[in-house]
Amino acid sequence: MSSGHDHGEPLAHHVLIYDTDEQFLAATLPFCRDGLERGEAVLAVTTPANVTLLREALGRDAERVEFASASGWYRTPGRTLAAYHRYVQDREDAYPRIRIIGEPVWNDRDAVETDEWLRYEAAINKAFAGSRAWIVCPYDTRGLPVSVVAGARCAHSDLMHGDAVLPSPHYSPPDVQGSGWERRPRPPSGASAACMEFGSDLSAVRAFAAARATELGLPAESLDRLVFSVNETASNALRHGDGRRFLTLWRDGERVVCDVTDTGGTSPPWYSGYLPPSPDQASGHGMWTVRQLCDLVEIHSLDPGTLVRLQLDARRGP
Amino acid sequence: MTQRMNRELPAEKVGHGDHLCLVFGDDAEKRRVATRYMTDGLALGERILYFTDQSSPEAVRGWLHAARVDVGEACARGRLQVVAARDSYLASGRFDPDAMIQTLYDEVRRSLDDGHTGLRVTGEMGWALRGMPGAELLPEYEKMITEVFAGNPASAVCHYDARLFGPDELAVFDHCHPLKVELTPLHGHGALRIVPAFQDGRRALRVIGSVDLQTTDLLAEALRTARSWPGDIRVDMSALEFIDLTGLRLLARTADSLGDGRILKVEHLPEMLRKVIRLAGLDRSPAFVVSPSGEVPPS
Repeated sequence: MSSGHDHGEPLAHHVLIYDTDEQFLAATLPFCRDGLERGEAVLAVTTPANVTLLREALGRDAERVEFASASGWYRTPGRTLAAYHRYVQDREDAYPRIRIIGEPVWNDRDAVETDEWLRYEAAINKAFAGSRAWIVCPYDTRGLPVSVVAGARCAHSDLMHGDAVLPSPHYSPPDVQGSGWERRPRPPSGASAACMEFGSDLSAVRAFAAARATELGLPAESLDRLVFSVNETASNALRHGDGRRFLTLWRDGERVVCDVTDTGGTSPPWYSGYLPPSPDQASGHGMWTVRQLCDLVEIHSLDPGTLVRLQLDARRGP
Repeated sequence: MTQRMNRELPAEKVGHGDHLCLVFGDDAEKRRVATRYMTDGLALGERILYFTDQSSPEAVRGWLHAARVDVGEACARGRLQVVAARDSYLASGRFDPDAMIQTLYDEVRRSLDDGHTGLRVTGEMGWALRGMPGAELLPEYEKMITEVFAGNPASAVCHYDARLFGPDELAVFDHCHPLKVELTPLHGHGALRIVPAFQDGRRALRVIGSVDLQTTDLLAEALRTARSWPGDIRVDMSALEFIDLTGLRLLARTADSLGDGRILKVEHLPEMLRKVIRLAGLDRSPAFVVSPSGEVPPS
């Protein structure tokens, strides 16, 4: 590779913006070949069409690359990030580097989902910092809104073009204040919002969440996930917050939304729960799990205070 | 989260028709259960029949005296009879189940004829381990006497000392009784009770209620107690209402700290929580074993 990429360096997270099959292959084919030559693990999660393209171009080498379908892999931001974490964790001892082609799914995503999936991309920089992963995220401009591609330029530190890598001038690191990844939460919609103020009795919190979510149409098989997540989030508010605490549920289209608000104290960063906790770490496990149990999780700083928004799709089970 | 049929009953809840085993690991527990069972019966006007083995009849009468029972009067009026098994139904030097079953029927009828409101029978069963002829029929006998009490104003509590009987023997006798006595909770809180138990002859902790921010300390304390028991730790979650991630991590960390090849086995955990264990990465320790809800371990 002419990228001059230092192989001792930990995480690399590149965006590949392409609009032809040739451009896709010009970057991904040498990326895979180079990895295989160096005895590295190579995973390609992309569209069925791109899987076929890359398989054919790789020829016999395709057997040594793991392929997965993007639609199965990119279900919810929290689960996807955790799946990549497990993939990398399971291979770090055996391989010098883990190369991943990860093409997120953007069609059929509404504005709320698109927003969170871009934040997921930005969080990758923080979540995999220190790992030996090299992640390339292809974005096909033939089918994507301009805003998604613009967001991708902000979420990746580098742009890949062919076998060259250039720093992205638009890159906005996740942990820099005012980086644009923190957004104001949209206000609850409709007249259906139900609210309770809570204290140390978490059984009341769980009962309220279960009853309201059922009324709002959350299927029974998703209820346990919501109740567990609400309990974790409310526990955090009791442990770390120092204001009044509220639980608010409402229905937003196909989603049941549950806000856990604490009106005092400093807020955790917006990417809390996207960072894999180490086993002996005292905190961080709760939100890591909640991110995987809920379909969408947003953490907003209220300054002072925190709003954690948990959302579950009311149409489908886990 | 679902509740499973529970065979355990606190001593104060024993009533007419019940046949229970008490599997215990220390004398204080045995004395507490036996005393409660007898004093409750006397208060209800029932007759008490206690067959001792390891304990002396004097000691048993001493427990009642300490519990403010007028022992002399109770004995004189025929309301209390404490005798050594070897001086009564084992006096012939052999155990005869059929004769004993007849005796129990007769005792129930006699109690009622004499104006008592019922009969409570307690037996210490340690003699069964001393090679007594007929002792091999004890499991069959235990199953049969369930019928003596069922439907009658009578009940029985049979004592099995876990320091004498091995786990597999205890498992057999456990399953010969429709019910067993619930041991003293290690921790009782409005929302959470943690009760030690013998399940399939092995020590276990039953977690009843909710483990959350308010109650995780109680679970931590109970697990510290359980760590001092010999062998593996079983945690029965069949009566669990809720457990948070801190609680699940506590279980995983306790498992990790056991060493010597010991494991911590969580049983009857609902599917959603087993999923949480995987998502949280708590499934990576071989000492932490989680078995599904409703799966009954082999006995």
